[in-house]
Amino acid sequence: MRRVMFWIAVVIVLCAFILPIAWVYVTSLKSPEDIFRPEKLAFLPTLYNYKYIVTVRPSLLEFRNALIITLASTALVMGVSLPAAYSFARFNTGGGHLLFITISTRMFPPVVAAIPFFFLFRDWGLLDTHLGLILLYIYFNMSFATFLLYGFFREIPEELEHAAMVDGYGRLSIFRKVIFPLIKPGAAITTVFCLVWAWNEFLFAFLFTRRVARTVAVGLAVFWGSIEIQWGPMAALMGLAILPTLAAAWFMQRFIIRGLTFGAVKG
Amino acid sequence: MLNQGDEARIERLPGEFRERRPAWQVLTSEKYIKWFLVIPLLVVLGVFAFYPLFYCLYMSFHEAILIRPPEFLGLDNYRKILHNRLFWNSVGRSASTVVVCVGIEITLGLGIALFLNREFRGQNIVRGLCLLPLMVSPLAMSLMWKYFLEPQFGIVNVMLSWIGFSQVAFLSESGVALYTIMFMEIWKWLPFSIFVFLAALRGLPKDAFEAARVDGASPWFTFKKLTLPMLKPFMMIVILLRVMWLIRLSDPLFGTTQGGAGTEVLDWYIYRIAFIRFDIGEGTTLALIALLMTIIIGAVLFRQLIKALGAAR
Repeated sequence: MRRVMFWIAVVIVLCAFILPIAWVYVTSLKSPEDIFRPEKLAFLPTLYNYKYIVTVRPSLLEFRNALIITLASTALVMGVSLPAAYSFARFNTGGGHLLFITISTRMFPPVVAAIPFFFLFRDWGLLDTHLGLILLYIYFNMSFATFLLYGFFREIPEELEHAAMVDGYGRLSIFRKVIFPLIKPGAAITTVFCLVWAWNEFLFAFLFTRRVARTVAVGLAVFWGSIEIQWGPMAALMGLAILPTLAAAWFMQRFIIRGLTFGAVKG
Repeated sequence: MLNQGDEARIERLPGEFRERRPAWQVLTSEKYIKWFLVIPLLVVLGVFAFYPLFYCLYMSFHEAILIRPPEFLGLDNYRKILHNRLFWNSVGRSASTVVVCVGIEITLGLGIALFLNREFRGQNIVRGLCLLPLMVSPLAMSLMWKYFLEPQFGIVNVMLSWIGFSQVAFLSESGVALYTIMFMEIWKWLPFSIFVFLAALRGLPKDAFEAARVDGASPWFTFKKLTLPMLKPFMMIVILLRVMWLIRLSDPLFGTTQGGAGTEVLDWYIYRIAFIRFDIGEGTTLALIALLMTIIIGAVLFRQLIKALGAAR
């Protein structure tokens, strides 16, 4: 009996999270006539909407742009955040203040940070370019990546490093041979977070791109901006746009078992 | 195996041959490495955090609308904003959004985490599926809900009509719309707190709970005296991050109400002033005031987090 109750509760929780997303895919298979009758489940599935977004809209270009920008910015963010987070965790660099300043960059309203960047990028010719968005996403993701990695680095006991030092390793080789293997799961989680956020980011992409570097997130907004929203193609594009992030979710849960513990309790 | 640089470092006294060492070795030496490692971060901070800050500081003392050259105003922008009812209303909306969302996310998230924290068949699949809403982009999420909540043909209203309710304009009726936005936020971010708590519960020391069980402590007592205090640092992490993100809430509004129907939260107000009215002077001033408020709240929460981390050690 308890088992039955447990599974009923699990199903309720799962439905609450999954049904809305599944419904997007259901909607994307509907023909234009069926779109306005959401309760109709026995409809003839059609790929009309998918054909529409591939042939009529520059969706493929948007996907390519989003991919380039996401991968490049995440690689750079990790290059910046990994050493910095290690430094914060091991040497308490800046006595906690620098870490707080890093976190606080996300407290600044991005809508306003966009104004000076807009003029700056216009002068440097970075508007509507991949490089421009990549730079912005470094700023966008750096604070959380550093904070998350800081927690993971804190989990690694300092004694390991002392032992390595006694064995004659320098700091850099300790970082490479002792720390890096241990930080890998944490770094993987952080990387996936950065990938997902860069992929999903809307505001900067919306304000800083027009045609050349437009990403999928902005492509979606075009539907909403038009006078009559084409729900079918929108659902199709939405379904495709969230597909990579759903894959990311699958990857993430494997690491959860190892403990996303932020370095707090184990010390 | 020692390489040459390390050998040299060990044999020398600190600072002895400093001039003869190449720059690379100086930077990676014990004394400087901690600053060497944060150089990239400092560069990014310098360009992307301080430049907009100083730009805003400069502009906030000026009247700057569109492309006219800025005119010095002194503190007028600040005075104007602090006496503006619209501004305080938006602050109030942001505050209630933060309180409601964080409160529900923490309690419900902890509840679901406690409930999922056991071994069962297909546990990985269930947990993986629970993560999904977190991965949907905020804009896609808002458009998705807009479609579901559409007054005429939205699935929610269709279902409401089956059980005899009249249509509800979830996203255009003031008084309802803000709660709809809150609901959307909670739906998306509940998995985040579930996962932090799940991970935390897995990391708890088993022996303490074993001891409590042997001593015959009731589940409620164990929860209150053992689980809750041990989870406090994680609670603080969730609260800190979620409060920071919720104050900056604006993405879900793009696809739905666009600030109408009584949903103009703080950041949307700033967006409207800065990008729709294009009043740079007032917009930047608003940004600085918002930043100051956020930093104060953030600093208080950050201190609590550090304290909780210290206590859990």
